[in-house]
Amino acid sequence: MDKGTIKRILNSTLNPMIFFIGILLVWEIIVLIFNIPNYILPSPISIFSEIINKFFLLIDHTLTTMIESLLGFLLANSISFLAAIAFAHSKTIEKGLYPYAIALKTTPIVAMAPILILWFGTGIISKIVTSAVICFFPILVNTIRGLKDVDEDALNLFESLSASKWQVFKKLRLPNSLPYIFSALKISTSLAIVGAIVGEFVGSNKGLGFLILVSSYHLETSTMFAAIIMSALSGILFFYAISFIEKRVVFWKEPEME
Amino acid sequence: MHELIIVIKDLTKYYEHLHVLDNLNFNIRRGEFISIVGPSGCGKTTLLKILGGLIKPTSGNINIFKSSPSQKNDIREFGFVFQNPVLLPWRTTKKNIELPLEIYEKEKPKILPKSFIELVGLSGFENYYPKQLSGGMQQRASIARALILEPSILLMDEPFGALDEITRDKMNIELLRIWTKIKTTIIFVTHYIPEAVFLSDRIIVVSKRPAKIEEIVEIDLPRPREPEMRNSTKYNEVMKWIRELLKEY
Repeated sequence: MDKGTIKRILNSTLNPMIFFIGILLVWEIIVLIFNIPNYILPSPISIFSEIINKFFLLIDHTLTTMIESLLGFLLANSISFLAAIAFAHSKTIEKGLYPYAIALKTTPIVAMAPILILWFGTGIISKIVTSAVICFFPILVNTIRGLKDVDEDALNLFESLSASKWQVFKKLRLPNSLPYIFSALKISTSLAIVGAIVGEFVGSNKGLGFLILVSSYHLETSTMFAAIIMSALSGILFFYAISFIEKRVVFWKEPEME
Repeated sequence: MHELIIVIKDLTKYYEHLHVLDNLNFNIRRGEFISIVGPSGCGKTTLLKILGGLIKPTSGNINIFKSSPSQKNDIREFGFVFQNPVLLPWRTTKKNIELPLEIYEKEKPKILPKSFIELVGLSGFENYYPKQLSGGMQQRASIARALILEPSILLMDEPFGALDEITRDKMNIELLRIWTKIKTTIIFVTHYIPEAVFLSDRIIVVSKRPAKIEEIVEIDLPRPREPEMRNSTKYNEVMKWIRELLKEY
């Protein structure tokens, strides 16, 4: 790292840091001045001490939610990827099934969650399924787009070489779809966590959704805040993990602005 | 020199009701550099794709005389160079040039990609990715890729159309240098008259759509062609004539 890079990193992190500390300060002062009760709005310091005190409990619930969303994410993306290949390959399949994929997309996951809990129980499986259902759509749409959105001259080139369909897929369509796939994967990361937490809201005995719900019953607002922060941090971690992989796999594309 | 490699008879092409090519008749001689010049949108690219077998004509015949026995390495009849270099961005220059070898899996030819990389002047850039190459270098890689299966006919569709004029002039000279080494037949589509005159043995001047042949112009300028030739009276006379032929479009 040369001086310029260090300076750039400092510049890009310094400003948000200053604002972050500023907002926390204002928050702390408002809570103090107006004497807001802890169960309405806990002060940043009390939230922070809550995180420290209940650290292992929080980590335990966070891990549950992360495992659920990760498995849901993997399940949805692998099924959806294969479905996209079938859709891109055959007009009949696409025309027949695409409307249902859209119907699935427009149905709110919150509306479906109770039935999924009924079917798959209050354990981890139902959360994996809620998470998977919500992740399904972005990867489907983007993979189809990536497989089809191939330069026409590139197709002409492969045709002029009498390439087989499989060769065109392997050497042209698949690599071409990778940038599309990764942008869908990044969208899916936050959706996966939403799906898992919604599942936990409806019926569970573990996970961040469960923790948020239970602490709301007991007016343990600091715990709720701590759990919300953990869910946000999991989302960020998940997103950057995928970005990290993306930079190595799709090395030829400039990363787009997030 | 006048042995024929392609004979085109009564070639006509319609896209639905759009009349693109109208009854074209011409021959192409083995080893010649022939250009097709015409107004943009006249169907030059369609003609090239029909010649290369990518599109079927509506009617008419194309007779391609297979390679003579002396050209044993001739495993592929056509090589294509498009206006856009169409290099795959996830492959290095070398990997891009080798693509046809990977696709052509049968009887693997004993071809050294290295010699083609040298031929187009890309030695030292083998491991660069396309986005690290200039437009001219990208087109060099695309030419090497088209040549690697040693085709007897090279089809070029406005290959230098996207380049700036200085690079284009340089690439014209490079192309002639490559052509004298490999001695394939080149069919070259362009709408840039000076380029066609500088490069070609003959120029087929076609009209606007539906494309008819206006004239087949023999360019009897001496070879090897040097950049200085662009100042000669004869060169400029030919240019003037072709401009005249295309004036009404």
